[in-house]
Amino acid sequence: MAAKSLQILEEGHGEYLRVDPDGFRASVGRKDRRMRPKLVSVAEAISKFVADGDYLVWETNYLQRGPAALLREVMRQQKQRLWVCGKFTWVAVALLTEAGCCDRADMGFFVGGPAVTRAVLEKRLTIYEYSNLVLTARLRAGAMGASFIPVRSLGGTDGFKYSGAKLIEDPFTGEPTVVVPALNPDVALIHVHQADEYGNARAFGTNISDVEAALASRKVIISAEEIIGTEEFRHNPGLTKIPYYVVDAVVHRPFGSYPGECPGRYASDTAHVVEVFGAVSLDRIKNYLDKWVFGVKSEEQMLAERVGPARLLELERRATVIAEGYRP
Amino acid sequence: MIGKGPWREMPKASSFAEREFQVCIAARLVEDGKAYWVAGGGGPMYSVLLAKRLYTPDVVYVAEDGVVGAEPILPFDPVMTLAAARPSYRALMWTNMNAIGDQSAVGYLDYGVLNALQIDPYGNINSTWLGAYPSEGRRVNGPGGADTIAAVCRRLVLMTDHQRRKFAPKVDFISSPGYLDGTPGARRRAGLAADAGPYAVVTNWAVFDFEPASHHLRLRAIAPFVTLDQVLAEMGFKPRLPESLDAIEVLDPPTEEELHIFRTEMDAQGQFTDAAPRWVTREKDRWVMVEKEGRSGGTPAFI
Repeated sequence: MAAKSLQILEEGHGEYLRVDPDGFRASVGRKDRRMRPKLVSVAEAISKFVADGDYLVWETNYLQRGPAALLREVMRQQKQRLWVCGKFTWVAVALLTEAGCCDRADMGFFVGGPAVTRAVLEKRLTIYEYSNLVLTARLRAGAMGASFIPVRSLGGTDGFKYSGAKLIEDPFTGEPTVVVPALNPDVALIHVHQADEYGNARAFGTNISDVEAALASRKVIISAEEIIGTEEFRHNPGLTKIPYYVVDAVVHRPFGSYPGECPGRYASDTAHVVEVFGAVSLDRIKNYLDKWVFGVKSEEQMLAERVGPARLLELERRATVIAEGYRP
Repeated sequence: MIGKGPWREMPKASSFAEREFQVCIAARLVEDGKAYWVAGGGGPMYSVLLAKRLYTPDVVYVAEDGVVGAEPILPFDPVMTLAAARPSYRALMWTNMNAIGDQSAVGYLDYGVLNALQIDPYGNINSTWLGAYPSEGRRVNGPGGADTIAAVCRRLVLMTDHQRRKFAPKVDFISSPGYLDGTPGARRRAGLAADAGPYAVVTNWAVFDFEPASHHLRLRAIAPFVTLDQVLAEMGFKPRLPESLDAIEVLDPPTEEELHIFRTEMDAQGQFTDAAPRWVTREKDRWVMVEKEGRSGGTPAFI
């Protein structure tokens, strides 16, 4: 009689967040399903819902509709030993590393540079190697309540060796197939165009895997450009991307993606984007953080004093060129 | 493999950046009626946009943040070439990365176009680490979406600068898969699609494909402003060569129209070109290479 064990042909030896679909279900079971107001400030949201050692997920920060205000507050509050998901992130992993907040990263894409290299060589940062799509697949598995998911990439790469992937004999076709562990982060940080005070959320345009990340994460913090009434959701329910019961905290944060764009509302601040890219590439992150993160007490102060109302108005004007598709 | 096209009969430019040449050549490789997955911005996106504008109107492309069939507003803002409003404008569909991944996995996406930091003879790509991973050297960006583009798009076109350090006998880290060790069935054994893989490599000096039996990089064409010896000297390994060296095609320079569109609509501020500012100019009957600082100055270097 043929062996009944699943054939594992190869496996990566990268550490991965413990796969525990039942534990995740239990944590979901403890969430409140009632429509209760969840509005808090940026500082309260991060202080209450991000703990040292948490696994954090976000996307496209400083590019498009990223949770920039929330991430700056993570640094301001000096959260420690975070494990971060680098699915389509840009400079945020380098900033968090230099700010001393994270020591592990699952990588898809990010801007490397001297600070990250130094942290890796000094063993202050461990990177596990995936790719953008493989990480979004892991989140999808997490959002399915599954423990793993097959993917059609990652096989044959060196990244495979430094990941949690396994090459198995597919029990249905017998072909070698790569499977990766489901990912259920502790916290998802998501910035949206509109939310109500309960956490129903609308985001316009594309995204990487915000919806999967929301469903797959134990704690979900939504920051929104605008807080709208629940009635508006009921008038056009097809626009709702995330339902309220998934969400733990709602933050009203206009310009919450600054200096990235929030399409339809404001354009990216090109000068700032060039400044931060230069800081990451040329090893001047500390100066950047002193100016934009640690040197201000709050997001409000940063926008008022470091950016200024005239600049914000200009960014809003530039975004009006392309509004189609980014409004209800 | 570049074959004949409308560019053949068009007036040719006599002064251009090497990078402009590279984008024009990659544009001429674009196949009409196919679906492309284009990585990020830069050369890959510009070459597909240029082709779509001039030669292949029935090409459709997707971006990994979920944009299908955009008619982008050009030029782009710095950095904002992907996951941004201007490149996503007037798309047929906005969705997310898993949806694009699904489209590629089932086989809708015919071509992928990628920039490569370092490649080996079998088209494997490094974009993770330069040096001995992870104890010595330098961290770079990671594969981003390239790992999937390389794994599942039926034909992969790679773009890289023609420099010795870019063509390594063995890459420091395989971030995105080519033909792996080149042996028959290597991709299938690794769990990858067997009907996909590297198709061409386009540099500022040459075009390569992959020899079908060995999956080894093979030289197919060179720029009119370099010699075969120069091309080979700037590679860390020797590519396969056609049996007769006469079979190595000499590429046409950019047409004036290609350059006009590229310079006014795409690289309007010269950011792409200025990152590797070597220019080529026709002087009487020979080409001269000029190292420029930005768009002016520099010392001529004769070839």
